[in-house]
Amino acid sequence: MNDLVQLSRRPRDGDGEGSVQFHQAASTVIEGTKVFAIYGKGGIGKSTTSSNLSVAFSKLGKRVLQIGCDPKHDSTFTLTKRLQPTVIDVLESVNFHAEELRAEDFVVEGYNGVLCVEAGGPPAGTGCGGYVVGQTVKLLKEHHLLEDTDVVIFDVLGDVVCGGFAAPLQHAQRALVVTANDFDSIFAMNRIIAAIEAKAKNYAVRLGGVIANRSAGTDEIDRFNDRAGLTRLAHFPDLDVIRRSRLKKATLFEMDASPEVELAQREYLQLAARLWAGTEPLATRSMKDRDIFEFLGFE
Amino acid sequence: MQLSVWTYEGPPHVGAMRVAAAMKGVHYVLHAPQGDTYADLLFTMIERRTTRPPVTYTTFQARDLGRDTAELFKTAARDAYERFRPELLLVGASCTAELIQDDPAGIGQALGLPIPVVPLELSAYQHCENWGAAETFYRIVRACVKAAPREKRRGTCNLLGATALGFRHRDDVTEVTRLLAQLGVSVNVCAPLGATPADLARLPEAEFNVALYPEIAGPTASFLAKTFGQPTIPVTPMGVGATRDFVRQVAELTGKDPGPALAGEPSRLPWYSRSVDSTYLTGKRVFVFGDATHAIAAARIATEELGFVVVGLGTYARGLAREVRAAAARYGVEALITDDHLLVEEQIAALAPDLVLGTQMERHVAKRLGLPCAVISAPVHVQDFPARYSPQMGFEGANVIFDSWIHPLMMGLEEHLLAMFREDFEFRPGVAPSHLGGAPTSPTSPAAPAPTTAPAPVAAPAPAAPAQAVKTEAKGPPAAPAAPTAPQAAVWTAEAEQELKKIPFFVRGRARKNTERFAAERGLASITLETLYDAKAHFSR
Repeated sequence: MNDLVQLSRRPRDGDGEGSVQFHQAASTVIEGTKVFAIYGKGGIGKSTTSSNLSVAFSKLGKRVLQIGCDPKHDSTFTLTKRLQPTVIDVLESVNFHAEELRAEDFVVEGYNGVLCVEAGGPPAGTGCGGYVVGQTVKLLKEHHLLEDTDVVIFDVLGDVVCGGFAAPLQHAQRALVVTANDFDSIFAMNRIIAAIEAKAKNYAVRLGGVIANRSAGTDEIDRFNDRAGLTRLAHFPDLDVIRRSRLKKATLFEMDASPEVELAQREYLQLAARLWAGTEPLATRSMKDRDIFEFLGFE
Repeated sequence: MQLSVWTYEGPPHVGAMRVAAAMKGVHYVLHAPQGDTYADLLFTMIERRTTRPPVTYTTFQARDLGRDTAELFKTAARDAYERFRPELLLVGASCTAELIQDDPAGIGQALGLPIPVVPLELSAYQHCENWGAAETFYRIVRACVKAAPREKRRGTCNLLGATALGFRHRDDVTEVTRLLAQLGVSVNVCAPLGATPADLARLPEAEFNVALYPEIAGPTASFLAKTFGQPTIPVTPMGVGATRDFVRQVAELTGKDPGPALAGEPSRLPWYSRSVDSTYLTGKRVFVFGDATHAIAAARIATEELGFVVVGLGTYARGLAREVRAAAARYGVEALITDDHLLVEEQIAALAPDLVLGTQMERHVAKRLGLPCAVISAPVHVQDFPARYSPQMGFEGANVIFDSWIHPLMMGLEEHLLAMFREDFEFRPGVAPSHLGGAPTSPTSPAAPAPTTAPAPVAAPAPAAPAQAVKTEAKGPPAAPAAPTAPQAAVWTAEAEQELKKIPFFVRGRARKNTERFAAERGLASITLETLYDAKAHFSR
């Protein structure tokens, strides 16, 4: 009986009496599916990581849905071999009467059965990207797409701290950060984990770990991870084949076999298996901007 | 969606109620304030069901809002289970209760009842009744359907989509079942109408599905197709052509012989619409509006089977707007997709069609505009639950459709009569036909053709000036004492007036008019008993 009261009161817990804290509507909660959100500094390889990770999950026999949350809508092109229409494009085509849409209007099946969605967004410099992500999740639920999916990957735009950045955090269970072993991307990562710490107060999202990308060494990343309470989940050196796979509009899993390719494929499969098995939620401690500036050894 | 005083569809929880009420062994616990219980009446008054719908409302009131409304929901759900012992419990909130965010879905699942509890999240502010019914049906099916059967039952199908409060659903199910039986196909499960949760578990055993009402059956049919490889027949058997198509497609899928089902004259519609007297059908301009399935079917019947011309086609069911647009393009018109009845009225007025095929709202519009109208689609009305057998689907459905569409039109050798009696007051240009009340302001009831003739204003004073006479005659068919050729109207004596009343009412107006004309031609100032009989003798020569 008490459990029940607890449960029914769940949304209000922690906010104190009389709180007007906004909580997510039940209709947008994704249940029964593992949801990951990929973050990182602009240009660090989030889309590359997301797409290859999606394929890796699908190679493990999982049903995968990748949602690109960047108005550039270039998250999924290595999977679909084209720039697919965005949710906003198709909503526009029906004058925002979402009831008229069919799943096939905005979901494209990509390589190895990975389902791809591009949320899209308002023109640069205007509107709210977060709204678009919210609408996208709602549409996917209404078309019963999430019920028959094992893994959802949100590929989030840059490290812009706005609604668009935050929206996937309301749906994700684990946030992953992609970073290189350099000042700029670690500096950005610190700001990202600060934002996720803030979101974790009201949502289920927790940090899952760090993916080191496009770097020979990981010393600076590891040093920061120790300090901030993060774990490195995977490491991809700066492989030319990854660059070439993008130019070929293909995922790594479609490239001709070579030691480099196999190395990267193994790492993606390892990462997928590890994430599927479940990662401990990390209690991170982000640093103040000035402190990390000092910490990373710059005067 | 916009603020409106009238809507084509109810809120989505009414759709859920229609599914729950249609099924057996299902109970719906609805978190709803007191006022929302009105929905019960739809089922008991309009459909005249023998029982209340299986719904328990929490009926919270203003004073409960200061207390624990979630507790109220839990108690209601537990009590409902104890009292009704359903096989499956639906839990959800009405549009009003959605706002207090008690999370009935979460509470319902945490109750630990020994039966499946299916939470419904119906987003009342984004969706309507049909979507609510479709989503509810899909949720229940997903909760009941388990593994794929070892073997499919050949020659069987499921009939999906019929609900309580459905537009002729009861009779459509009977008619389509008969039609399938003629093909040697039996119905595995008909759902939601009449099904139990246990029946739904058997859905995967059928060879294929018939989505009678795609608005409601759509998501379930595509789930069953995807999961169990059951194809859905893509035709709704409404109208002779579509029914023939349906028969052929089922026959092809199952390898049965379509011959017996198509033999003879399965429907009178094609013969009637080509009969000698059919000129009054040809080329009639019709405006069609309804749910998508019925509107598309009506447009096809109108053009292919009755020789009408579709001048407007539309739907309020946005979920299937695409199909309606495609159909409209075939008839060279632009589809009207809207849930705003005022917009529909505007278009009807602008098009001035010869016949309106629409919902109850279009019936009202047509009445105001003095246009013939037949009802082809939900929202339902008490008239859509007739005591007699009255399907819309199958060959008998085509007969029913022929009758209900044709009766509001002028019958008989209309075109000839119009030419011969062009000068007659009934056929004056600008005045609607007498069977529609004669004028836009008159009452008419196309769906129920009985009580159209309003009592004639017999007591019309004799010395009516011609200008007044025109007004009066517009009000009722046999009413008007018009005497256009008369220099001055004759006055009825009391005695003659008394005698006139002895004449049966249905010819009284005609007798009055003829007598007055007789008097006028002879320059008589008054009409006496004698004049009346002279006139009678004169006209019966």
